[in-house]
This record gives sequence, structure tokens and C-alpha cells, in this order.
Amino acid sequence: MARRHLRVGALLVITLGVLAAADMLLQQAVDAQTNGGMVRAPRFEVDPLWPKPLPNHWVLGSTIGVWVDERDHVWIIHRSSATLSNNEKGLELKPPTGECCAGAPPVLEFDPNGNLVSSWGGPGQGYEWPQSNHGIFVDHQGNVWIGGNGAGDSHILKFTRSGKFIAQYGKAGVHRGPTNAEGLSTYAGNSNDRQNFGRVAKIFVDPRDNEAFIADGYLNKRVAVLDANTGMMKRYWGAYGNKPDDTNLGPYNPDAPPAQQFRNPVHCANLANDGLLYVCDRANDRIQVFQKDGKFVKEQFIARRSLGEGSVWDIAFSRDQQQTYIFLADGRNHKVRILRRDTLEELTAFGDGGRQPGLFYGVHSIATDSKGNLYTTETYEGKRIQKFIYRGIGNVPRTQGALWPRS
Amino acid sequence: MSLRVLAVATITLVIAASARPIAHDIPNDVIVHAFLKPDGQRLHLLVRVPLEAMRDMDVPQRDRGYLDLTRVDDALRTAATVWIAREVALYEEDTRLGNLEIVAVRVSLPSDTSFRAYDTAVAHLRGPRLPESTDLYWEQGILDVWLEYAISSDTSRFAINPGLRPLGQRVTIALRLLTPDGRERAFELHDDPGIVRLDPRWHQAAARFVHSGFEHILGGIDHLLFLLCLVIPLRRVRMLVIVVTSFTVAHSVTLIAAAYNLGPGGLWFPPLVETLIATSIVYMSLENIVSASLAHRWLITFAFGLVHGFGFSFALRESLQFAGSHLLLSLVSFNVGVELGQLLVLAAIVPALNLLFRFVVAERLGTIILSVIVAHTAWHWMTERGARLLEFPLPALDAVLLLWLVRAAMVLVAVAAVVWVARVLLRRKAEGPGPAEAGRYVREQVGRSVRL
Repeated sequence: MARRHLRVGALLVITLGVLAAADMLLQQAVDAQTNGGMVRAPRFEVDPLWPKPLPNHWVLGSTIGVWVDERDHVWIIHRSSATLSNNEKGLELKPPTGECCAGAPPVLEFDPNGNLVSSWGGPGQGYEWPQSNHGIFVDHQGNVWIGGNGAGDSHILKFTRSGKFIAQYGKAGVHRGPTNAEGLSTYAGNSNDRQNFGRVAKIFVDPRDNEAFIADGYLNKRVAVLDANTGMMKRYWGAYGNKPDDTNLGPYNPDAPPAQQFRNPVHCANLANDGLLYVCDRANDRIQVFQKDGKFVKEQFIARRSLGEGSVWDIAFSRDQQQTYIFLADGRNHKVRILRRDTLEELTAFGDGGRQPGLFYGVHSIATDSKGNLYTTETYEGKRIQKFIYRGIGNVPRTQGALWPRS
Repeated sequence: MSLRVLAVATITLVIAASARPIAHDIPNDVIVHAFLKPDGQRLHLLVRVPLEAMRDMDVPQRDRGYLDLTRVDDALRTAATVWIAREVALYEEDTRLGNLEIVAVRVSLPSDTSFRAYDTAVAHLRGPRLPESTDLYWEQGILDVWLEYAISSDTSRFAINPGLRPLGQRVTIALRLLTPDGRERAFELHDDPGIVRLDPRWHQAAARFVHSGFEHILGGIDHLLFLLCLVIPLRRVRMLVIVVTSFTVAHSVTLIAAAYNLGPGGLWFPPLVETLIATSIVYMSLENIVSASLAHRWLITFAFGLVHGFGFSFALRESLQFAGSHLLLSLVSFNVGVELGQLLVLAAIVPALNLLFRFVVAERLGTIILSVIVAHTAWHWMTERGARLLEFPLPALDAVLLLWLVRAAMVLVAVAAVVWVARVLLRRKAEGPGPAEAGRYVREQVGRSVRL
């Protein structure tokens, strides 16, 4: 019996010893992996069940703006029927060609659980709805701001949360030029116009000074700053803080010296808590950082060899007090990139081209909620919003692919 | 009519015309933030509510419908009185507090963050009001209210019946209690929770959780089916006591572990547990059908009890906030409630089975029929829940996963070693070697050690 006990005891001790040795070896392997291709950054996983299905057979068109308000309600703006093909909007046709579908109203508000709680938007009395709406922002007073990048959109609009019109700054169609060979109006930018804009991409309102920063835009090449109550333009500037110039710079060449002006579109202008303004110079593949008065601070190129639409589409800040990280929507490369805000160094990126949850087609806009969750919208035929659940800071690879639920 | 009367009438008309009624739909979701702080002989209640939830109010407005902040105080005070102060019921040692004073009331911007902490909320309520030029709509503003109640002592036990259900279709109240010893306890209350004891006495917490456990087991059809499977072939009291005790001990262990956050927190874990619970029922049914030996049923029951305990913990998670300072007691009470429910069910099932097998169908055939029915139901649960579980991709077989597996194996081996040693010691004690035998054993061991 004693001999048997000794054998069992020895077996247990040896097994534990072997496991302990394996533990040491594996720990070394994990450490090496961490120090090699891994990096500490925020982790996410896609929530494939958010938002819930829309009512009334509604579908989204190209979705070109997202913002999260103080109540963690998620606001999007999309181009609805204007970007839906006939076989997507059979219910709207006259006569209807089927039981589904119809474009949803342009402005949609979701609660944190993904329920649609309000919807509105479109032409109305007293204002000019954009030909092609673009960008949405909910300010500290609860007002909703909207830009537009249609041919003649040279204005921005402000509504209450329930869609009641408050104000229009700028007039539509003011930069009209001669008609082209097809008989359509052409438009020319005027980045020194103090009354109107040139196809505004995005708006951000600074609650401290009640100033609206306008990414202006698809026709103009500037950042403009308004009094958020009156819409009066207070100042504006171009790349590096230069006086903006509307000269056509031609296509972006990654090997040429950095352009001294923004290229179209100037696609975002987001203000951080420390007063630094981050501007998306989309086609130039760069973020430029300014002080609030327009003084240039620094720039960072992102995926510098990206041509065409460019790599820097939109940014959002992490929700810690320091706003340590920047989440950057790169619609050219179908990724979300995560940068350190202080150094603008890229830590990691996730996503890839595709239509399954966690993949992207033209990821256009990005926003964070108070819990650190991330929301993205997709333009072109992407036509959707996706939610990425924040899973804390951890070790992640430099390139992550689709962030499907893992843990 | 004198000029004076005419002037007064004109001003009254202007004011009446500009104080337009606000009557909107009931909002879908309303989130209320509140702090409750007993301090000396005063109880402070700070409440933040979206103004859109305050309906049917006469609100002074200026151009474009913005709030007229020069004249809004009366409307705010009325809103605070009608919608909050009159509705919230606070209790000190089960006596309702009546002596209340509205210390401050103000409107805030939706972006204001001062209610993140009690001190900043107080400073905000004492601080300067919004500039009169602020363009703010009633529906987009926030109402902040500071209520004070006279109390006997800040060490009393308090309870609250929020009464804020009328504010919205769904009302969530994020309440934080700040006790005199500096601790903070958070509650998340929904809709109409009734009277919530914020610092229950031990017997109040125990009673609440016994009730909760009792209700849970009676409403948990999968737990009941597992119980049924256990007792179909086992209806003698001694065996029942052993098996049910084994189940109870096991689910108590994992329930308590989960309450102290010792369980996995991944999204995949609840579907895994739910699938395993269904699997446990299928397994037990199959065992009954093939007439397996019942000698080790207590052991299998123990293993499955561990799984069911995690299942109980999912149901308990949201109500643990009502445990006050009696977390462990509340968990034990919940288990007691579960046991009482189980005993009640057994008291009904066992005689029913005895009658069934005596008068309706032969025991073996009846066991098979009942087990097949249960297995059929549980099989569907297992496949449905399994499908949900399989939506989560398997983890990659990398060094991190291997390390986790090795560490899990180390824990299992260590536990096995402890159990083995305990078993050896217990057996040796039970056998109690006689003096002669013991002497021979010692000589053998000594001799062996010398030889070594």
C-alpha cells in the first residue's frame, strides 16, 4: 500500500513539475510575442446585433456622419433614397414594385441599446436642406448641426434634437460658376468668403467658448470658426495656418513635398479637451494639429502612399480625461487605425474590406460613447453603422483584421 | 379704466402669452442621477432629471422658443415640486420623512458633467446660474434639484421609494448613497422598484434573498427538470439527501465565486453555462434510460451543480445591490431560498412518482418514458443554446491559450493531490492501525529510509 502511495505521490509531483516547466517556457514565448509584434492599445470587438432592425421597411443610404450625445444616444445622418438603387427602394417607387424597402429619414437617433428613438430631416419651411447632407454633430446645448457636400451646398443647418429648425448659416448655391458642356452649373471654391461655405464636411462645437469649428470642406480648403449662437464667422485658416488658397493642387503625389494648402476635402475638425484642433486633410493623407486660434502645431502622415480619396477621413478621441488615443477612420484602406494622441504614432489597426461584421466598405465617420465604445458609419455601398464594444486596454497585434467576439 | 389697470392687464397678457405650456409625449427612456447623503441631522438628496420628462408645465420662453432664463425659476421650482419632491418617499428607520426643503433648483446644459461626484454636484447647485443669453430649449435642458430632509441621525438606516415612474416609459435611476464613514454604494433602480432599503438589516437582506432564491428555482424550468431527472430513479430519503446536498454544495460554491467576480467575464460564458445546463439534463435523462449505476450519482450531480450555480449567479447579478453590507449572508440566503424551493418541489414530485409507478405504469417503463420526454425537451434547449455558443469563434491555439490551459491543468492536479492526500489520511484514520501493526509499519519505513 505504502509503495503504491509513493508511486501516486511521485506521479503527482512529477506532473506538477512538468506543468510548471511548460508554464515557464510558454510564459517566455508569450513575453517574446508581446515585446515583438504586440502593442498595448484599446481592444474592441464588433457587436453584430447593434443596432436593432429599423421599422417601416426602412433602409440606410450612404451613411456619412455619426455623433454620440451626452446621453450616449447615437446620431447618424445618411443620404437615404438619393443613394438607393431602385431594387433597394421598391416601396418608394410609383407604383411600388415590392413590399420592401424605403429610405429612412436622413437623421436617425438610436438609444444605447440600438433602438431607433427618433427620425427626421429633409426639406422644410425656412431652410435649404443640403443637396447631399454630410456630417452631424450634437452640441452642448443639445442642438444638432448638419453640413452638406452637394454641388451647391454652401451652408450649414442647426436643428433641435426633435428636428425643429433653428438656424441656417450661409446660403445654398452662392459659388455658382458658368454651366458646363452638359448644361450643369459649376461651382468654384472661395475659401475667403466670410458669409458662406464650400461643401461643409463636419462641424464641432467647443462648449467652453461656444465656437463652431467647420471642416470646410469639399469645395473650400479651410477651417472656419463661427460664433455658435449667431453663426458669425470669427476666423479661418488653411494648411499650416496659411491664408487659404483655392488653387487646384492636382492629384496627391506621396513623393512630392507636403502641400502647403489643404486638398479637398477638409474632412474633419475635432477639438480635444486640451484645446488642440485635429484636422483631417483627407486626400493629403495627413492630420494637421492647430491651436484654437489657427496656429499650426504639427502634422502626421497616415498610410502615406494612399491615393485617390486619401486615408484620413474622420477621427474620434478616446473618452479618458487625457484623450490618450485617436481612432481614425481610413475609408481608402477600409480600416480603423488607433494612434497615440500625444505622438500621433499608429499603434494598431483593425478591420479590412468586406461586408461581414467588423469589416468595412468606405468607413467614413467615427465616434465614441462615454463607455469607450466605438461607432463607425460607411458611405458608398457600405450603407451601415457598426458598433465596436470597448474591451479595455490590452496587448493586441499591430494588425488585427475583423474584431469578432472572442472573450 | 385707469391707465394703471390697463398697464397691469397688458403686462399680465404679455407674460401669459410668453409662458407657453410644454406638453410633449412621454419620453421613452429617462435616466435620473441622484445622490443621497445623510449628514448630521440633515439628509441631502440631489437629483438630476432631463427637463423633457417634466410635462404639462407653463414655461416662460423668449424668441424662437428658447427658455427665458430671467423668469424660469418659478417653473423650475414647480417642476421640482410636482415631479420630484412630492413623488420621492424617503424613510428613516421605516418612518417616512416629511419635513422637506427645496434648497436649490437650477437648469443646466445637457453637456454638464458635475453630477459625476457629490461634491461637484453640490458646487454646481451652489454655483452661478447659466448666463441669461444662453439659447436653450426646455426639452434639451437638465433640471438639478437639491432637497433636504430633517433626520434624527446620519447613522440611521434609510430607505427610498423613488416614485419617478411617471417621468418616462422606462425610467432608470442611478442612485449613489454616501454613508457617514465615507463609503459610497451604487444602486441602479428601474421603473417602480417599490421601497428599497439602502442599508438593510441582516434579517431584511436575508428575507429578501431567501424569497428571491425561492422564486428563482420555482420559475427556472431547466433547474426543475434537472431535479426531476435526479429523483426519477432515486426516491429513497437517504439517497435523496446525499444527492440533493451534493447539488446544493456545488451550486453554492460557484454562485458565491461568481458573486465575488471569480468567474470568467467573457460574452461566451453565459451561453456556455446555459448549454451545459441543458447538457446536464440530457445526460441525467440518458443515465436514467440506460439504467446506469446510481452509486456515483452524487459525484456527477456535484459536477453539474457547479454549472447550475453559475446559472443562478446570472439571475442574481442585478439584485446584489440590495444586499447592503451583507453580501455573503445574502448569497447564502439565496441558496437557502433555492433549497426551500427544491424541497417543496421534491415534496410534490416524490409522492407523485411513487403513485405513478405503483398505480399507472411499471417503474422501469415509467422511468424510461419520463426520461425520454425530459431528454427530448432538453435536447432542443441544448442545440439552441449550443448554436448561440458557437456564434463565438474558438480561441486561436496560440501560446497564450496554451499557457492558460497549462495553468488550469496545474490547478486541477493540485486539487487532485489535496483530495488524494486527504483521502489517504482519512482512510488511515478510519482503519486505525493496531499497535503491533503500527510498530511494524514504522520499522518498515525506518528500515527503508536506512537502506535508502
